[in-house]
Parts: sequence; C-alpha cells; structure tokens
Amino acid sequence: MKLFNLGKLNWRQTQLIYHALAYKNIESLVLNSSKDRYMCVGLHQDPRDELDLNYCNKNNIGVFRREIGGGTVLLDNDQIFYNLIINRNHPKVPHAPESFFRKFLQPVIQTYHEIGISAEYRPICDLTVDGKKISGNGGGEIGECKVLAGSILLDFDYKRMARAMLLPNVIRERFLELMQSNLTTVQKELGFIPSKEKICSILSTKFADILGPMTNKKVNIEITKKMMELNKQYSSDTWLYQRGTKQIGHEVKVCEGIFLFYYMFNTKKGPEEVTFEIRDNRVKKVTFSKAFKLSNKKYQKLEEKFVGLEYDRTKLVNEIIEMIKTNGVFDVA
Amino acid sequence: MLLKVKGMKFLLDRKYYTKDGAHIWLKKEGDFVKIGMDAFAAEMTKPLTALNIIKKKVKSGEVIGSFESAKFVSRFHSPISGEIITVNEEVISNPEKINDNPYNSWIVMMKPDNNKDRGKYIIEGKDKIFKWINKEIKSVEGCK
Repeated sequence: MKLFNLGKLNWRQTQLIYHALAYKNIESLVLNSSKDRYMCVGLHQDPRDELDLNYCNKNNIGVFRREIGGGTVLLDNDQIFYNLIINRNHPKVPHAPESFFRKFLQPVIQTYHEIGISAEYRPICDLTVDGKKISGNGGGEIGECKVLAGSILLDFDYKRMARAMLLPNVIRERFLELMQSNLTTVQKELGFIPSKEKICSILSTKFADILGPMTNKKVNIEITKKMMELNKQYSSDTWLYQRGTKQIGHEVKVCEGIFLFYYMFNTKKGPEEVTFEIRDNRVKKVTFSKAFKLSNKKYQKLEEKFVGLEYDRTKLVNEIIEMIKTNGVFDVA
Repeated sequence: MLLKVKGMKFLLDRKYYTKDGAHIWLKKEGDFVKIGMDAFAAEMTKPLTALNIIKKKVKSGEVIGSFESAKFVSRFHSPISGEIITVNEEVISNPEKINDNPYNSWIVMMKPDNNKDRGKYIIEGKDKIFKWINKEIKSVEGCK
C-alpha cells in the first residue's frame, strides 16, 4: 500500500487528495494537516442549511462539500487527518459500514494508546476517552474505492465551530456547552501535544500492521491533474449547494449519541421554537423558546411531558402539534 | 411467493441485480420497471438517513444516486439501461421506509431500453436467489 505523508497542505488540497486517489483507484493511506481552517460538510448536506456563510466568508473560513458521509466539522491545523483509500473489492474490506469503521479505526485507537490516551471505539464511528469524543470519522464509496476519513484532535476551537454553524443563539450556546463537555483533545488529555511527525509515524506503522507494508510516495503529475479537475467541480456553486433529503426540523450532532434537535412551529401568534436534547436515542431535555410568555408552570408541564421519550423526529413534532391544539395553548398555523 | 433466508424476505415475483454487492430488486409494471433495495440491503443500511437520485438517461451499472447510513455514503447503481421516469419522493424524504419495508418502497421507475443487454447480473427464481443470498451472507460474515 502507498503512503502519502504530506505534512501541511492548503485546506482544499487536504480534501482533494483523497478524492483524487480514490477516483484514480490508488490504494493508499494519506496523512496531512491543513494550514488554514475550514468547514466541511457531508455529501448529503447543504452548507446553506448548516453554516453561517456570511461569518465564514468574513473570517476567511473556506467551505467544502465532500463526497463522503458524516456531518459538519471544523477542520484546521490543530488536527491530523488520515484517509484510507482501499478498493471496494479488497478481501479485507468489510461490507457493512459499522464493520468497516470498527476494523479500520483499530490503527487509530492503537495510535492513541501509544501516545498514552486510552481511546476506545464507540459505534458507529467515534473514538472516545471516558465517554468523550476524541476523533470524528466518516466514510463512503468514491469511484471503485471505499474511503475512511477522520482526524486526530490535537486541540479544538470549540467557539469557532459553534460560531460558524447556522444556529439560533440559544441553541448555539447549548451546542457549545455540550461540545465542551463531550469532546476532548490530545492537549486536554495529556497536557501537551506530541509532535505531528511522531503521531503520523505511529499511524502509518499501525495501519501497516493490518494492511501490509507502506511505501512512501509523492503526489505525481497524474494525481495533481485529477486534483485540479476535481477542484473545478467542487468549487462550483452547483456542487456546493445541493439540497437532498428533506428532513423534519434541524439536527445538530455533538458526538455519537448526543445531539440537539430543534423545530420552529409557525403559529398564528408567531414562531415558537422547541429544542430537544437527545442522549442515547431518548429525550433528555426539552426547551421552549417561550415566545408566548405562558406561565413558567405551564411551560414546565409541557417540557416534562417529553423527557424520556424515544427520539423519533416525526412523532415528537406531531405530538407537540397535537398537544398545542388540544390544550389550546396556541394555534398551529 | 416468498423466500426467507436468516429472517430476511425475498419476494419471488421480481428479479434481483447482483453486481458488486448491489442488492436491488426490479419489477416490471407494464412498459415500466420499478426499482428498489432488497431485504439484505435494507438490513445492512439500517438506518438510512439520506437518499438522493438524479433523474436522467442511464446505462446499466451507471451511478444514479447515493444513500447514507451510519455516516457512510454508498452509490446507487442502475441495474438496467433506460430512462428514469419517476422518483419516489415519499421515499427520498423518508429513506428509513426502505429499512422498514423494502419491497413497498420503490425508489425509481424506469422506462427500459429494449435493445440493451440486461441479463448478466440479473437473476430470478428461488434457487438462484437462495444461492446468491447465502454467498452474500458468507462474504459479510467472512470479513467482519
């Protein structure tokens, strides 16, 4: 297998490289960091729904829509990116996504262990330390290959991430709190950051243990040509802004099992926003924006009704609509 | 008419496209063909969180869309050559319906090209389907 240990790249190149290698069907491991910060959304996301694009633009934060799965992430120089590109018919490639992640995240887990962090696999594709996320991952098919893409969080700019997301202010604050308490970094765990060179060296060794010897390679003209071709495509508005599956409400994920789901109910009296905090597929907390200035007792009663319910977007939204109608709290437009 | 393998149901009133681990069913309805994912795919992709289809003229094996499950994006390939006439918007908006009931959740309706070869990776009949599914299950269990 080929190893592209590329050091620091500009932000676009960190994404273009693994897309190009996959389209060229070059089985490889890519390691790099981004010189600049940028926001990256999954294939089935639209940046207009996920990001405060004005803020990103004013602060020179690039936006990239990748061809693989997962959610919105802030990527920057405080992370080491690893990409595994492997032919989808390779005998070692599991069929099911969970098996794919479980198998190919083992080298990353071992790398954390070697630097003194007891990371473990949390299905489907997070790595955690004492329940806190320390690495996010996504995957997908590109051309003839399957791709794993993830990062080692050396440090993390929580505030920047929360600010760049398109969120109502109240939810942004809660999102920030949740990230700060559920997402950790190498810096937080060790109190220092080992050199990137050392971590990359361990990563390549651990991947070689399951995939065979790695041969150091440089990006050649053919790969560069493919990157340039893809850059043209991925920079276009027609690629960047594509709305796919229409989901009910808006979901903001903090880590596997923890996220916020909010929905704006347009009523005859104006908008009322309801936010559900979800943990392990159950409603942990529900908050109303209190646009109608009902008594606290009444709001409390409404909120208590939902705690502990199973997370099902459609059911929750319909239940609230029904409750609003039957209790005559306010009319749904 | 139904075949059950390890709790998964395969309806025998339709054909199945098998290339490169694809698990797609096809059912002829008049001049058109309805296409969807089979029970094996429905089980492996639980829960489907996104599905996107591009309406166009395609050749057999060509990518016509993508779907996402567990932060992993897979491609949806057309089993036949022809033109996508209709996309099932209900399923596009609620892809998890495929996990719940794959045979009622058709994804696209196509008008097939009559003059194109479409036999190579398409199978039908209890014995062939049984043999293929068992091979697929073994392959999944083998590289976990």
